[in-house]
Amino acid sequence: MVSPAVALIGVFIFVPMVLTIWLSFHQWSTQTGFEAARFVGLRNYEDILGPISVGRDFKRAFLNTAIYTALSVVAILPLSVIFGLLVYQSRVAGGQFLRTILFSTYMVPMIAVALVWSKLYSPSEGPLNQILFWVGIGPQSWLSSPDTALYSIVILNVWQQVGYFTVLAIAGLTQIPSSLHEAARIDGANPVQEFFGVTLPLLRRTLLFSAVIAVINAVQVFEPVALITQGGPANSTNVLTFHIRRVGIERAQGGLGSAMAVMLMLSLIVVIVLIFSLARQKEERA
Amino acid sequence: MTAMSPGRRSLRRIRRRTGNSLLFVAIVAISVIAAFPLVWMLLSSLKTPAESMQTPPVWIPSTPSLTAYREVADVIDAARSFWNSAVIATVTTAGILVTSLMAGYAFAKYRFRGRDLLFAVLISTMFLPPIVVLIPLFRMVTYMGLDGHLFGVIVPYLANAFGIFLMRQFIAGVPDDLIDAARVDGASELRIVFSVVAPAVIPAIAALALFAFVYHWNTYLWPLTVLQGNTEDYPIVLSLGRLLSYNRGAMNTGLVMAGATLAVLPPLVLFVFLQRFFVDSIVSTGVKG
Repeated sequence: MVSPAVALIGVFIFVPMVLTIWLSFHQWSTQTGFEAARFVGLRNYEDILGPISVGRDFKRAFLNTAIYTALSVVAILPLSVIFGLLVYQSRVAGGQFLRTILFSTYMVPMIAVALVWSKLYSPSEGPLNQILFWVGIGPQSWLSSPDTALYSIVILNVWQQVGYFTVLAIAGLTQIPSSLHEAARIDGANPVQEFFGVTLPLLRRTLLFSAVIAVINAVQVFEPVALITQGGPANSTNVLTFHIRRVGIERAQGGLGSAMAVMLMLSLIVVIVLIFSLARQKEERA
Repeated sequence: MTAMSPGRRSLRRIRRRTGNSLLFVAIVAISVIAAFPLVWMLLSSLKTPAESMQTPPVWIPSTPSLTAYREVADVIDAARSFWNSAVIATVTTAGILVTSLMAGYAFAKYRFRGRDLLFAVLISTMFLPPIVVLIPLFRMVTYMGLDGHLFGVIVPYLANAFGIFLMRQFIAGVPDDLIDAARVDGASELRIVFSVVAPAVIPAIAALALFAFVYHWNTYLWPLTVLQGNTEDYPIVLSLGRLLSYNRGAMNTGLVMAGATLAVLPPLVLFVFLQRFFVDSIVSTGVKG
């Protein structure tokens, strides 16, 4: 009964995962068979962590991905809670409508999001600089300057993803027993105290889950970079998924690309373990 | 607490009413901001090339025209791309439904050695970004002779951890009596899965089908890698990428926006009409786990 699923996931996920690790210790062209791989020990790792251009590019891509991921998570989580409260608590009309609008952006292909935002960001014909002009702010260079390009992609990512996390937050909010809210109010808590004393602590599991998913989604950023910026300007948007594919598939340096993929996997494990242990610490203190 | 005077009570009511209208304003403002990019996309797809290039930008097209859509259909063979997307998304979804129902049933209702360990190992793949296995997976698919082919896009994704997880959650709630009764009647296990268990978890099947369909309609990295420039088999998301390079610069804005609108429509329409299934399944699996 489980064999079709186990066979498929085994062959198409676990086998390539083991191969990625194995290849990371080999020099191997992606255009040749696996048997052509030549063992080189840790040299791929020395290269990608070293001072030559391979290393510089990888470290830059790693840093860019880390910044992109951190900013995305830091923006998405609070927004999802605020929007979630708006939808969940408001007896006013429009709550459900807001949820529909927010979530629908998550359903849209990232490629379309990237294309549309590249036009929104257009310095002269784009509407964003026009709106900024109306409120008295000068034109921004958005995707065309190395100082702002990565942040611009963070914004479009937050726009696309926040609806999904809002629905997660609403799901978390519905599981908080209303008796706890009533008890807080009887004790004379104002809405702010109620939020920090009752709502937020009880949302911790939801936020933990959201943080992990947001990290995993963020490291997968690819379409806006591949299509719009090509990693530029000046490497400022070169992120890992784009970089690993460029090295491992387009330049066919399968060994190097695999070593980078292993580094990504290890870093993800570290980050996820950190998020969980942080949450556990807080739980013990509470 | 002393009894409230009429004045204080009405003051409270006023305060609540202004609070509500503030909330309402916030909801409207956020909705407008959230919807704006997609509205802009639609409006831009109806502009003339001259309007798309104007500075400051034109917001509402003066003479909406469908020229851009006609051009898109020619430039990228949109009908063919749509067909490819539909094939990829439908076949992958069907595969995921079958494998997830079977595995979900086994994990929910069977007891076997190592069950929980196997389940945990499978579920851990849910957290694996596809790029980590992309390079060897591409080579493996080439070995199988499936590179540059729609099958190469589909085959590696016929089973996934999320589907198994979702199905186990829901099938666990199906009464054992129902299954035992079918066994007494001599039904095979496969028959039980598809004609006893499946009908009892229709909402979960609908949710999984929608999620899988939308995900595989939208996915870009893997088809781009496997199809290797075989544009005949390109799904719409890949053809959209070609559209951008077809005519770089502002000239192609209307074209690109028309293409984006076309690509966005199927997942968006599915979601708007069936959003209950999406939301319910997130609520029931997302945080309980």
